[in-house]
Amino acid sequence: MIVNPAVMALVGGSALGGALLVAAAAQGVAVLRGWDLSSGSERQLALERRTYLVSTLLGFTLAFELLSLFLFVFTADALAPQFTGAMCAAGSLKASPYGYPVLLLKLANAVLAGLWLVLNHADQQGYDYPLIRVKYAALLGLAPPALAEVALQGAYFAGLRPEVITSCCGSLFGEGGRGLGADLASLPPAQAGAALAVVLAAALGAALRFRLTGRGAVLAGLLAAAALPAGLVAVVSAISLYVYELPTHHCPFCLLQREYGHLGYPLYGALLLGSVAGTGVALLHPFRRVPSLAAALPALQRRLATTALVGLGAFAALSAWKVLASGLRL
Amino acid sequence: MTLIEVERVRRVFHQGRPDELTAVDGVSLSIVAGEVTVLRGPSGSGKSSLLALLGGMARPTSGRIHLEGRELTSLPERFLTEVRRRTFGFVFQQFHLVRGLTVLENVMLPATPLGVPRAELARRATALLERLAIGHRARARADWLSGGEAQRVAIARALINDPRVIIADEPTAHLDSRLSMELLEIVAGLKADGRTVIVASHDPLVYLAGVVDRTVSLRDGRVEADSR
Repeated sequence: MIVNPAVMALVGGSALGGALLVAAAAQGVAVLRGWDLSSGSERQLALERRTYLVSTLLGFTLAFELLSLFLFVFTADALAPQFTGAMCAAGSLKASPYGYPVLLLKLANAVLAGLWLVLNHADQQGYDYPLIRVKYAALLGLAPPALAEVALQGAYFAGLRPEVITSCCGSLFGEGGRGLGADLASLPPAQAGAALAVVLAAALGAALRFRLTGRGAVLAGLLAAAALPAGLVAVVSAISLYVYELPTHHCPFCLLQREYGHLGYPLYGALLLGSVAGTGVALLHPFRRVPSLAAALPALQRRLATTALVGLGAFAALSAWKVLASGLRL
Repeated sequence: MTLIEVERVRRVFHQGRPDELTAVDGVSLSIVAGEVTVLRGPSGSGKSSLLALLGGMARPTSGRIHLEGRELTSLPERFLTEVRRRTFGFVFQQFHLVRGLTVLENVMLPATPLGVPRAELARRATALLERLAIGHRARARADWLSGGEAQRVAIARALINDPRVIIADEPTAHLDSRLSMELLEIVAGLKADGRTVIVASHDPLVYLAGVVDRTVSLRDGRVEADSR
């Protein structure tokens, strides 16, 4: 195991978060089984008091879950010099069989955590805990992958050995290679770029339409959700080429490095923010007629749509800037 | 018209520990709008605990409290704070004026989070101090006041957000008889304004006063008698 402050923060933070999630899941089971706001029983009042505390703690835990995705990638990138053959996070992640599964799980969990935070925030806008059952049911669904992530991330860091010879990003994300990275790299850049442009334009248009008219919440959410995979695919197959100004270098991780102005952090951050916020618009839509949320929810959905516009817009602008300013012409 | 409805409320401190104490034990009562209600009883009878529950300053262990039909005890904290701030004015036994601030600043303090312009707030606070005959002390620091003056300032502070309900915990505990009578005159004025006043007191001067509409006697956290 390689021990450094970032690894300790990730392992410690996720272990603590996992313990809190287990405790919160227990509270969730109690809420799902016994919540009755019309009752003045001791049990109900204790649930009301605890749910306030649990929601607050979960808010911080899941916000850490979101941030830890970036800390994990940063750490993997920082560990690269320890492994023979690794040039960036791509090699560090390949140094253990758990690396890429952890990354994918963390990405999925970050999205789920973001959506749960949206749900929790909406619930707190109502005076009568309007989404309490929904959010705790969602938490019970979120807890297993989050706990799996704790275990897999621990196994990943525990299994890292400095003497391991790993692959560099050139082979992992090379057009002739095998695996998901190579498959993405093999996609035609023009088509992938065009697909991204279409999805982003549609997602931005739908978010703007919802922002202006209050219509099309579900469509705006679906398109914002689609923007995340479309964006990630396009980064690998097309955008990265323009950033590196090399027609064969598709690595999505070198973007995080100093040589490229740490572009990956704002690029991926904006995409994740925009996608989650936009998806949140659709997520909240079924609850717009809940009486205690009727006044607050439309405004919250509009703020989420604005956030989606900002996030996806920033991702589109950064991508377009890099393509247009690049010396590479394909 | 019932303003506050209390349903089988219990308040237990240190629950499950050896020093567990049931301060309020299954109390049910209705507070009528516009009346002066006194909760009387010996020390430890649960008056102050019940008062804190009525004003939304504490949550019961079990039972519910409704304010004009709206359930109060389950409200998440920020909603309860809003209700408390706009509905209730509190006069505490120890006054709890903030030392170092002037009388005017103390009176303005509870309205500060509402974002009222300072000039408007100062005007309202000054008018309240004048009404309570303490306007000449507006610029004095709170720690320079006598007990009677501090009491009036505490009442002015309780009124700054124009609450419908005034809650006072042992308001005459630190006052002599003359000042206690002056306080009861102020209470009569609040009642004449249409406000509901709930007082916890074991002072006969208070619970035997003519301005009082109803006396609820408590002992060991339970209602012993309820008389008009």
